[in-house]
Amino acid sequence: MVNAFAYVPAIVLLPFFSFLVALGAGRYLPKGGAFGGIAATAGSFLLSVWVAATVAGGRAYDETLYYWASEGGAGIGPTDIELTFGVLIDPLSALMLVIVTLVALLVHVFSLGYMNDEGETGLPRYYAGLGLFTASMLGFVVADNLLMAFMFFELVGLCSYLLIGFHFREPGPPSAAKKAFLVTRFGDYFFLVGVVAVFATFGTAQFAGPESFPALADAALNGSGSVAWTPGGLDLGTWLTVVGLLVLGGVVGKSAQFPLHTWLPDAMEGPTPVSALIHAATMVAAGVYLVARMYGFYVLTPTTMAVIAFVGGFTALFAATMGVVKDELKQVLAYSTISQYGYMMLALGAGGYVAAVFHLTTHAFFKALLFLGAGSVIIAMHHNEDMWDMGGLKSKMPVTYYTFLAGSLALAGIFPFAGFWSKDEILYEALVHGLNDPLLLGGYLMGLLAVPVTAFYTFRMVFLTFHGEPRSDTARDPESVRWNVKGPLTVLGSLAVVTGLINMVPVQKVLGLEGIDLLHRWLDNEWGGIEGLSSHHYADIGPYSSAYLVGGEVGTVLVGAAVSLGLALLGLGLAWRLYNVPSPTEHTAKLGGIKDVLYNNYYLDELQVWLAYRTEDVAGGANTFDQGIIDGVVNGVSSVSLTGGGRIRKLQSGVVSQYAALLTFGLVALLLVLGATGGWFL
Amino acid sequence: MILEALMAAAFVGALTVFLAPDEWAGRLAFAISLIPFVGSLYLWSGFEAGGNALLGGEIAYATQIEWLEVGGRSVSWFVGLDGISLPLFVLTTFLVPLAILSAWTPVDARQSQFYGLMLFMEANLLGVFAALDFFLWFVFWEAVLVPMYFLIGIWGGPRRKYAAIKFFVYTNAASLLMFIGFMSLVFALGDSVSSFALPEIAQAIAAGDLGTWFGIPPDRVAMVAFLAMFLGFAVKVPIVPFHTWLPDAHVQAPTPASVLLAGVLLKMGTYALLRFNFTMLPEQASMLAIPIAAIAVISVIYGAMLALAQKDLKRIVAYSSVSSMGYVILGLVVFTEYGIGGATFQMVAHGLISGLMFMAVGVIYNATHTRMVGDMAGMADRMPVTVGILVAGAFGYMGLPLMAGFAGEFFIFVGSLSAPALPYAPVFTALAMFGIVIVAGYLLSAMQSTLFGPFELETDYEVGPAAFHDVAPLAVLLVAIIVLGVAPDIFFEMIRDAAVPVVEGVTIDG
Amino acid sequence: MTAVAASIPPSWYLLLASAVFCIGLFGVLTRRSALYFLMSVELMMNAANINFVAFALYYGDLTGQVFALFVIALAAAEVAIGIGIILVLYRNFGTTDVTVPAEMRW
Repeated sequence: MVNAFAYVPAIVLLPFFSFLVALGAGRYLPKGGAFGGIAATAGSFLLSVWVAATVAGGRAYDETLYYWASEGGAGIGPTDIELTFGVLIDPLSALMLVIVTLVALLVHVFSLGYMNDEGETGLPRYYAGLGLFTASMLGFVVADNLLMAFMFFELVGLCSYLLIGFHFREPGPPSAAKKAFLVTRFGDYFFLVGVVAVFATFGTAQFAGPESFPALADAALNGSGSVAWTPGGLDLGTWLTVVGLLVLGGVVGKSAQFPLHTWLPDAMEGPTPVSALIHAATMVAAGVYLVARMYGFYVLTPTTMAVIAFVGGFTALFAATMGVVKDELKQVLAYSTISQYGYMMLALGAGGYVAAVFHLTTHAFFKALLFLGAGSVIIAMHHNEDMWDMGGLKSKMPVTYYTFLAGSLALAGIFPFAGFWSKDEILYEALVHGLNDPLLLGGYLMGLLAVPVTAFYTFRMVFLTFHGEPRSDTARDPESVRWNVKGPLTVLGSLAVVTGLINMVPVQKVLGLEGIDLLHRWLDNEWGGIEGLSSHHYADIGPYSSAYLVGGEVGTVLVGAAVSLGLALLGLGLAWRLYNVPSPTEHTAKLGGIKDVLYNNYYLDELQVWLAYRTEDVAGGANTFDQGIIDGVVNGVSSVSLTGGGRIRKLQSGVVSQYAALLTFGLVALLLVLGATGGWFL
Repeated sequence: MILEALMAAAFVGALTVFLAPDEWAGRLAFAISLIPFVGSLYLWSGFEAGGNALLGGEIAYATQIEWLEVGGRSVSWFVGLDGISLPLFVLTTFLVPLAILSAWTPVDARQSQFYGLMLFMEANLLGVFAALDFFLWFVFWEAVLVPMYFLIGIWGGPRRKYAAIKFFVYTNAASLLMFIGFMSLVFALGDSVSSFALPEIAQAIAAGDLGTWFGIPPDRVAMVAFLAMFLGFAVKVPIVPFHTWLPDAHVQAPTPASVLLAGVLLKMGTYALLRFNFTMLPEQASMLAIPIAAIAVISVIYGAMLALAQKDLKRIVAYSSVSSMGYVILGLVVFTEYGIGGATFQMVAHGLISGLMFMAVGVIYNATHTRMVGDMAGMADRMPVTVGILVAGAFGYMGLPLMAGFAGEFFIFVGSLSAPALPYAPVFTALAMFGIVIVAGYLLSAMQSTLFGPFELETDYEVGPAAFHDVAPLAVLLVAIIVLGVAPDIFFEMIRDAAVPVVEGVTIDG
Repeated sequence: MTAVAASIPPSWYLLLASAVFCIGLFGVLTRRSALYFLMSVELMMNAANINFVAFALYYGDLTGQVFALFVIALAAAEVAIGIGIILVLYRNFGTTDVTVPAEMRW
């Protein structure tokens, strides 16, 4: 049998080649190079499935492929560290490969309808960007060490810049692109410090194996090993917490967690398929995936875990409240993304490794679905995104409506759609671990509070868009969409319905059926995997213990599910009451002053803009200081010598008698001095 | 003798171009400048030396011929390369043809003199990196200033005279200080050295042969010499607060001169710092580690803040050079293999990237005749390829992975975070690293307002894409930057060979 | 004659020479006419000559006398050039006042 793992680099390189082709020859190709991208992502998808199947066949793969900078010789400071590129294929990365390539493939197909059919210009650039974006994300997914992960993490950021700013001739997109890169770069600064710190501390940044940094950290904390370096005065536990938080900075930036989430709503300036890619499978997912990837390191430091959980829970609630008042379709989805990634972070922080990966998977599908559905609506509405101009689209575009509805039900967490299962598991994990840990319980409560809010804004969106009477001419006569839009929607719509089946933990627990928690077993290396990268291992070394409400495990499962489903239905019902009417009106005014706060995103953008301006003021001050004082001193020296010279040269009067007099006096003075020091007068 | 042949090719080429008619001086100069480039590739391919040339390592392509006798010490024609100088040598021969190409469009007067001076400068730059005798080195070091003075003073912008004189006087005064510092070392060595050969001097100092000079104890002499040389080179690098000549020189200089100024001339300063201060006097360097690291960090942050405040694209890039050079200083002072190796690598990487940036800004200037941020917008609409490469170069400047800048910066950071020779190394490193955020801030802002948005520029002519010979050097540079970022080992391995002996020269307590 | 000259102590000659020199110097510093200038310079040279001759006599060494002859020859040459300069000066500035032509200043 041919080894699938030998083709892993091809998974990354195929989209990269499509990038090169689209960039170099896109304008000579039909559809601006779209087919190259489709072929490449399709190839990557097939290879990824093959790789996943091979992992299911009981194998895993961790191989260094390329020495970026060779191993050092002797010396002082960090030596013998290997800066390498490698491939790590375990259940987690195999799963992520499939998700990313599938979503990327569908986004490419959808782009045919969204970009080509709409007569956009600059398509080669667009497809080049998509190709590079996919390639960077795939490179990040298969990375076997933190340095390589960081490098592709940054490339993902670059691609988001290029694609968000795709419509560079308009004023908005370049600004949004700048903000996206800058805000995530701020997070990446901490990440980079963290990467360097990992190298300095452990001498390696490998994710897997006995010589990997999580394993070394575990050993050092157990006292059965030691680390190469800790900064003076810090004990190991504190230092590892610091390192974990530093790396977390990058995660908070890319996964749009509070307080670095502000770039994401602005990023809606990019073309809609790009938003789908960013939100579902690439950039935003990268942050959460990174935490999952090095989970073995994070579980060692309880403080970091608590911070992750709390930030996640807070973000989930915080972003959901802002989604409630938005008027534009994509804006609502943007805030829902932030909120959902908050859930994943909550899960990770609460020790729910599998739950987080589960939600990452289901979210990838239903959020891609929602964005592509929104894209379809936007095509139909001639690029008007204001929901108050829509309405009644249900009958005009049934495929879009029913798939979008499936995605919305999943997002709102309604039984039995995919999102219900994953969100429920997250809340369950947070609850059972949080009963012993107040901070975690706080995260859980915020996550729980976000549930009805999520259901409310989701269905507010659905009802405003599809239900009621059309509220504009375009809504009365929308443009029709073709197969290349409907196809991806159908695929994702079915996935949004059924993906929950991969992990039926509550059913298993309640009914006692064995073996239907596929994802748990998958991530627990039941079929194949790498020692030390399994969910059991993480649970073993993790800081949490479980506690249950009345009725033990089963009771807690049932109560938790009932509460969250009830809350979701509550939110849905409220949205139904308020907005599922022929001509809905804005009810946000009832919120009073809170509405302004929510509408302006808690003024956090203003705060960041204010900070940016203050930085510019400081820069201006520095410039004045530089020009005035520092350069002033330089010019001062020159003008002192110039004026000094100007004065002294007056001696050169041109009058011979004066020269003679000077000569004489000079000689006399010299004689006197020599005489005085030479003792002639004594 | 091949080193001499390459330098002679540039020198004779300079004379030839001086005498050539203006019409084809540019093409002739480009053709001639390819000779040193091809030659240096040959040197590179055959390079096998290991170790540091100054500390007893092998010296590749060495020639040593007695030349003069000064004060009882012999001066010789002594040239050769090691792992530190070869990358810079190749950088020079690579940048000069591209800079000459970038001059074809903007330089429209006295071409033969212009290109002659460019080649003359190349000959001297090669001499600086190859020379291993102090006197020889100093002659080249000073001779570099002369063509640059004329390039700025004749073909420069409106305030060219001010800028040229400031550049010349400032750096020349600094050279004097440096010369005094080095000479005091030589005199303090007394009879233990018989020549001005740098390896002999470096090894004599390492062997502890520094003696008392005019009643001043050896430690004191070494410290004074270190400070004098450091200040001298600091102007050249430039390190805050000795940097103010740089923006003026860059803004006034014609594009090709800016390219060489940022790409190679600044590296002379850091190269000399490495060769003289940090290789010869490691004890003093580690005694002064904290202040040096502090000014390195200040250079990074302060330079970046200044760049943030600028409105002229060239000034932005000029100040960001100050910032980047701060990283190099940080890498040098930490005395680790990755730190010093990374600093050297960063010299090459920054040479390529800043060369690219100045060239791209120059190409845009050719079309717009303005460099001010507020005067133009949406240039991407009219010059897509140029802008594309400029954006790529800007991301390279921001330290995007898989481009050369990231490799250099990352090596430096890895080397410096846990450096035992520098107290509070993590603090200094983390502060310096914040530069990567500010650099992204000012470059992205500048790009947003000049390159993107609706096209805006008041001209009485149509602004169109740049000529092929303008864009080609940009593309070549970009490819080089990416190649070096993907495979830094092509230089880093030899650099590291040469950096390790330097690191071993310092002793660390604890 | 020689005996009389030799019997005078050298300090007298030195005083005489100093006096002559100072008169010449005073002339150079105070006179404005180029001709007076030239004459004052002659005085100063002759003061030097007196010293040469006096010491030649005192030590019985002819070198001093040879030097004095040289100086006289030099003075003659100098006067020739000096007068030439004064003529050119007069032609260009219409005066022999040395303070007027101050062209060669800053």
